[in-house]
Parts: sequence; C-alpha cells; structure tokens
Amino acid sequence: MNPFGTFIQLLVDGLAQGSIYGALALAIVLVNQATGLVNFAQGGMAVLGSYIGLTIGNLLIPGVGSTLGVVLGIVAAVIASLALGGVVERFVMRRFERAEEDTKVVATIGLLTLITGLVGLIWGFNPTPYPFFFGGSESLRIGDVSISVWSIVTFTTIVALMVVLQILFRGTKFGLGMRAVADNAPSAALAGIRVGGLRMAGWGLAAALGTVAAILLASKSQLTPNNFDGILVYALAAVVIGGLDSPIGAVVAALGITILESLAAAYIPWIGHDLKVVVPFVLVFVVLIIRPQGLFGRRAVVRV
Amino acid sequence: MKGYDAVVSNRWVRLGAFLVVLVVLAVLPLVADPFTNQTISHIAVFAVAILGLNIVMGFTGQVSLGHSFFVGIGAYAAIIPIRDWWGGPLAEGAIVIGFVLSGLIPGVLGLLIALVTVRLRGLALAMVTIALPTIGLPLAQKFSDFTGGNEGISIRRLDYVGADGQVHKGNPFAAGPGLENDQWQYYIVIAIALAFFALAYFLVRGKYGRAFAIVRSNEAIASSMGVSPYRYKVLAFTIAAVYGGIAGFLLIVWGQFTSSETLAFHHSIDLVIASIVGGAGSIVGAVLGGVFYVTVSQIMNGLQLSIYTTLVQGVVIILILFLLPGGLASLPRTIRRLVRRGAAGHSVEAGHAADSASGNTKTQVQPSEERNT
Repeated sequence: MNPFGTFIQLLVDGLAQGSIYGALALAIVLVNQATGLVNFAQGGMAVLGSYIGLTIGNLLIPGVGSTLGVVLGIVAAVIASLALGGVVERFVMRRFERAEEDTKVVATIGLLTLITGLVGLIWGFNPTPYPFFFGGSESLRIGDVSISVWSIVTFTTIVALMVVLQILFRGTKFGLGMRAVADNAPSAALAGIRVGGLRMAGWGLAAALGTVAAILLASKSQLTPNNFDGILVYALAAVVIGGLDSPIGAVVAALGITILESLAAAYIPWIGHDLKVVVPFVLVFVVLIIRPQGLFGRRAVVRV
Repeated sequence: MKGYDAVVSNRWVRLGAFLVVLVVLAVLPLVADPFTNQTISHIAVFAVAILGLNIVMGFTGQVSLGHSFFVGIGAYAAIIPIRDWWGGPLAEGAIVIGFVLSGLIPGVLGLLIALVTVRLRGLALAMVTIALPTIGLPLAQKFSDFTGGNEGISIRRLDYVGADGQVHKGNPFAAGPGLENDQWQYYIVIAIALAFFALAYFLVRGKYGRAFAIVRSNEAIASSMGVSPYRYKVLAFTIAAVYGGIAGFLLIVWGQFTSSETLAFHHSIDLVIASIVGGAGSIVGAVLGGVFYVTVSQIMNGLQLSIYTTLVQGVVIILILFLLPGGLASLPRTIRRLVRRGAAGHSVEAGHAADSASGNTKTQVQPSEERNT
C-alpha cells in the first residue's frame, strides 16, 4: 500500500474511534449543561445500556430474525437508557443538587461502582461477544485504500446523531428550554420552565447517546463491565481540551486527539503503539497551560 | 449525655486513649497469629494512602481520581533500588534510598501535575487525575526491563554475598532473631504509618489546616485574607502524592512485591470510596477507610462472594453519601446529635435537617476541635 493510502486509512479509523470518544464527551457536556456536574458514571451507564441491548437482541433474534432482532435490541437499549438517565437524575443526583462539587463527583463515582457491580453480577465480569457485527472485519476498497465498514457505520451514525441533537437544541422549544436551564436555572424556573423535567431529559438524552456509542464499540470488540473506563478517560480529556461548555469543542477535540494519537503511533517510531496513549494527555497539559478554559470554552467569570 | 461529652472531649482522656491504642499496637503482634498481623499491617498501608487522599479531598475539597498512580510509583521507587543495590556495598542503605525515593518521586510528580491542573477551577483535577493510571500502566509495561512489566518485581529471594563470600538468597525485610517475619514487617509498617499520621495531625491542626479549610469553603474569601487558593491546593495535592508514595513503600515492606497492577485505575476508585466511607474530613476516617478497603474484599473473598464486592462497595458509598455524609468517623457525632435532637424536641430539628439533607461531606469539617480527633 502506498504511504498516502495508509494515511487515509489512519485518518478514517481515527475518525471512527474518535467519534465514539466524541459521543461520550458530548454526553458529558450535555449532562454538565443540564445539571452542572461532570458525570464520571457516563461510561458505566453506556455499558449498562449496551448490555441491555445485547440481552434483548439475543432474546428476539430466534423469533424475528437477526436483522430485526438487532435493530429492536438497539431501540430497546436506547429507550431503556433514556429512562435510566432520567431515573438516576431524579432519584440519585437530585439529592446532591446543592452539595459541593466534590461531593457530586464522588456521587457519580459511587454510581459508576454501583453500575459496574450490577453489570458484573448480571452478565459476569468476563468478556461477552456481541452477537452482531456491522462488518467488523469487512472493508471497502477504494483504489489503494481499504476502509472498514465498521468505521464508516460508526462515524456516520454518530455524526447523524449529533446533527439531530443540534436541531433539537437549536430548533425546538424543548431545546430552548434546555438552554435556558443550562444558562440560569432559577430564572428559567421563574419563567415557568419545568427545570426538574428538563434535567431528567438531559440525563436521559446523554445516557442514550452514550449507549449508542457503546453498542457501536461493542460491535467491534467484546463487551466487559469496565469496557468504557478507558473511553471515559479519553472523553474527559476531550472535554478538558474542548471546554466543558462547548458541545462542538468537545467533539472536535475528541476527533483531533484520536487522529493525532494514531498518526503519532504510526509515524513517530519512538512513540509507537505502546506509548500512543500518552499523546492525548500531553495535549491536555499543553492546553491547560495555555488556555485553561479549553480551546472552545468561555472563561468563567465569578462574581463575589 | 453531658457527662459523656465532657469525658470524651477531655484532653487527658483522649491522650490516655491514644496511649492505650499505642500499647495495644505494640503488644498485639507478639500474641496474635500471622494472619492478623498481616491484616493489620495491610490496613495501615492503605490508611496512609487514604490519609493522603483525605488531605486533598476532605480538607481541601478537591477530588483526586488517580491516587493509585502515586501508590504504584512509590512502590516502584521503593523496590527498584532495593532490588538493584541491596546486598551490594550499600547493604541496608538501599532500603533507606528506596524509602526516600518513594516519597520524593511521587511528590515531585504530584507537584508538577498540580501546578498545571489546579489552574482550572473546580473539576479539572478530577478530570485530569483520572488519566494518570491510564498513562502509568502502559508506561510501566513499556519499560519492563526496569519495572518487571506485568509479572512485576519480587524481592522475597534476592541474591546477596554473605560473610562466607558465597552468594545467598535473602529477603531484605526478613526478621532478625527473636521475631517472626510478619511481626518485624508489622513493626516497620506501623511505626512509619504512625509517624505519617502524627505529621498529618499537626499539619491539619495548625496554620496549614486552617488555610486548607478556608480554601475549601470559599476561595474568594481565602484570597481576600491573603491565603492563595492556588498555592494551598497545589500543596495539598503534593502532600497527598507523597503519602501515596509512602504507602507504596509500606506495601513493599508488607508484601515485598509490586507490579503494574498496583497503579490500575480501579484501585483509585476503591481508595476514593474507602476515603468517603471512613470519613474524608477526618484523620480517624483514614484508619476506618483503611479497614474498609482491606476487610471488605477479604470478607467477600472469604464468603466466596467476591462477585458481589464491587456492587457492595457501590451500595455502601451511595448509602453513606445519603445517610452519613461525614463517613463512619462522624457516626458518634451524628448519634449524639440525634439523641440531643430527641431530647430538645422539635425546635432544633428543622435546622439540623436542612444541614444533613444537603448531602454535603463538608458538614463535618466545621467543628475543628472534633474533626482532628
């Protein structure tokens, strides 16, 4: 394969992997906008959702055939995650609404542990293969370049979801309400917006988005209860680089760090496959030094 | 109840209780079985690690999700000099070098990390420190000549040249005559742990403790009083890293082994949970956290229920946050308050209810006299 072909392939695979990080990063930003906290259980919730999709898919496949079973499994997982996100916000996180930031972080860490434990108990801690693959090994050949079907499906699905979310937030009354809550919850409440309901919706949407990303990832590799621990770390790095208050920034940063990481692994022999994980975090440090609010973030102004 | 309060808060009673604890700790290993000794030293190892976490979380109000990174680095910094130099011309000096490096290297790394991450308000520290184990693990595996990679490093049977000029195998932490290995290791671990607990006790009681508390409660007020939030947050994080590293050294004394697994991410989560369950804003809380950290998995494994361990930890931490935000260390105070509330009727109830409903780990930090017990 010529060098240019390799480069394009790295780029496309990086875009696909990066879009998974980006989806989780976007979920984290969504929750942060809705409730002002960083949900460290976002990855755990996504994994729980994908296990639900796996189980329902497996139950349905003998009856309705594999394609329909898979689709219904995914739909069920998305609905279950919407509900799960809302319930967790209402019955767990609402209680910490007025707590200190560090207490909220610890609460989401507790949630992560609880969910991981629950998933491990129900589905076991050993890796479970997903029954369906979006062409995990198949690839398209365009001239010299071969691109895996999985990369194309993953990237287009997540980009489509992001477009839908953008329309939801910019073009509907619901989205306007969400933005009002994010901007100033007490004023939004005074204006007659149901803040609590919108916060539940924000958590639900974020959980559903994470679940789709987890299912896409699971269709390539196997599923384990800790599947998303590593991905959460990347998503958080993307959020720090892009800025906690910038959905677009987080997604762009996620794609950027993944592509830079795979390019560094391929072209800088000293880094190679072993140390590529260090690249995104060096970038995090550089960004924190030059622009602590993130590349796309607004500087927080605090009135005393 | 009043008489009870007076007795408990009496200086001399407290000092006496402390001396009794010291005597029990000194005599216990001579009469207890090896398993008990090892369990108590294991608790002491993680109590030191959790104490560091408490200084950064409970006292300064930041969350570190990468504490196992410092424990793991400290363990490497302790074991590598001992592996390479013990038995050579340096003899027991290698252990001293390991001890110093196990505090120094994590401390320097912690300082550098804090200098950069504390710049961002709020959650940046949590969001960046969560990456430390993720970076540390592949690094430790990459330099496996140095770190032993996945297999790790064991110093239970090290080569050394004896008085007869022959090469023997020996354990640097083997006991001398009159003591068993588990007793000897117990005494080393407990002595160092006590020293670091004493240091932390005087640190949080004095000027630094007050500065941490004011930074925690309101950064703007801290600045206006000339207490730089940035400086004290960096300081707290650096101290926490040193404590993590020293816990790594103690882990080596306890088990003479480490591997890249020591710095894995899930240990960081376990440490945070143990810290909150014990009581992040208190020094006694670190000991209770150490007990929780070590015994929960031990009990679950003993009952053949290890598959439930993570779930139990998750349930316990959520329950603690809901019902006892100050952790187990605040249990006596909470009970006293409940009793007092019952006696005083409904007039004070509203105030206390609002206080405890906020789900705030900070509520316990207010009475400084009680916090430092």
